[in-house]
Amino acid sequence: MTQDWATEHLQAIRTLMERAAIYRRALAPITLFVGSTGVVAAAVGWFAAIDSHRAFGLYWILVCLVALAGAFLLVRRQALKDTEAFWSPPMRRVAQALMPPFFVGLVSCAIMVMPKWREPLQVWWLPPIWMVLYGCAIHAAGFFMPRGMKLFGWGFVLAGCLILAVLNLRSYASGLPALVNAHWLMGATFGAFHLAYGVYLCFSEKRKNEA
Amino acid sequence: MNPEPFLQLDRVIHEKGRLAIMSLLAASPQLSFTELRDALNMTDGNITAHIRTLQVAGYVSVTKAFQGGRPLTTFALTAQGRKAFTNYINLLEQIVRQTKSGK
Repeated sequence: MTQDWATEHLQAIRTLMERAAIYRRALAPITLFVGSTGVVAAAVGWFAAIDSHRAFGLYWILVCLVALAGAFLLVRRQALKDTEAFWSPPMRRVAQALMPPFFVGLVSCAIMVMPKWREPLQVWWLPPIWMVLYGCAIHAAGFFMPRGMKLFGWGFVLAGCLILAVLNLRSYASGLPALVNAHWLMGATFGAFHLAYGVYLCFSEKRKNEA
Repeated sequence: MNPEPFLQLDRVIHEKGRLAIMSLLAASPQLSFTELRDALNMTDGNITAHIRTLQVAGYVSVTKAFQGGRPLTTFALTAQGRKAFTNYINLLEQIVRQTKSGK
């Protein structure tokens, strides 16, 4: 009995220590905001016919910056509302986990869009590369976030790999569609994936609060 | 079974609420009042009472500051608190080991 008691105490301590290290701030609003930004940006990109290699890369980097700025403001707002420190230890861990793949995504975009001689269709490779990198970033951050976040990251990694395989097949077989269609690919993944996960988080968090 | 480790358990930490607070603070350099309250589902009065006990024992330091014009109270383990918490864990592990080996 004493052993059970001591083991239970140790287990409770372990659970609490893990909980202290988990980031939970404003996840549903952030995913919904990023998803909406992705879908709107895809529609704008398609209707505005942004189809040169340079414009495509720079446009989506700008969208990424808008999404990051929005997420930053949402996190800051919740921190102020709850009178918490913005740069909390879980927040710092998540930021550190996200940083390397985000940096590689930025560099890969620069490599793709800088040369003037680049064919617009070559830039089709950027969306799946971004998806894989983003998935890796989310998966890494998922170690300091609720459990579903790692699965969400895997969703991006798998989608990116699948699209890479399809692009590889099509580029040799029948060629690739016009670059302007890549906006829909971005909207369907970075937009719709986030929206779907955001809706799920809204409902699951509501259920948890009611329980 | 040797009752020695059980008798050595720190009574200040051993209480359920204070042990939970110490566990959270051990995993994080500092936590705000709201973070502690939300993580543990405790009332403001409970948190305040336990923190006061831990502060008197010298295990927790309290910092009061302002953020965006609003007061922000944060808590952290002191070196003495970390040592006491580590000792407490070691004793629990010792109890588990002793019971397993049947001493």
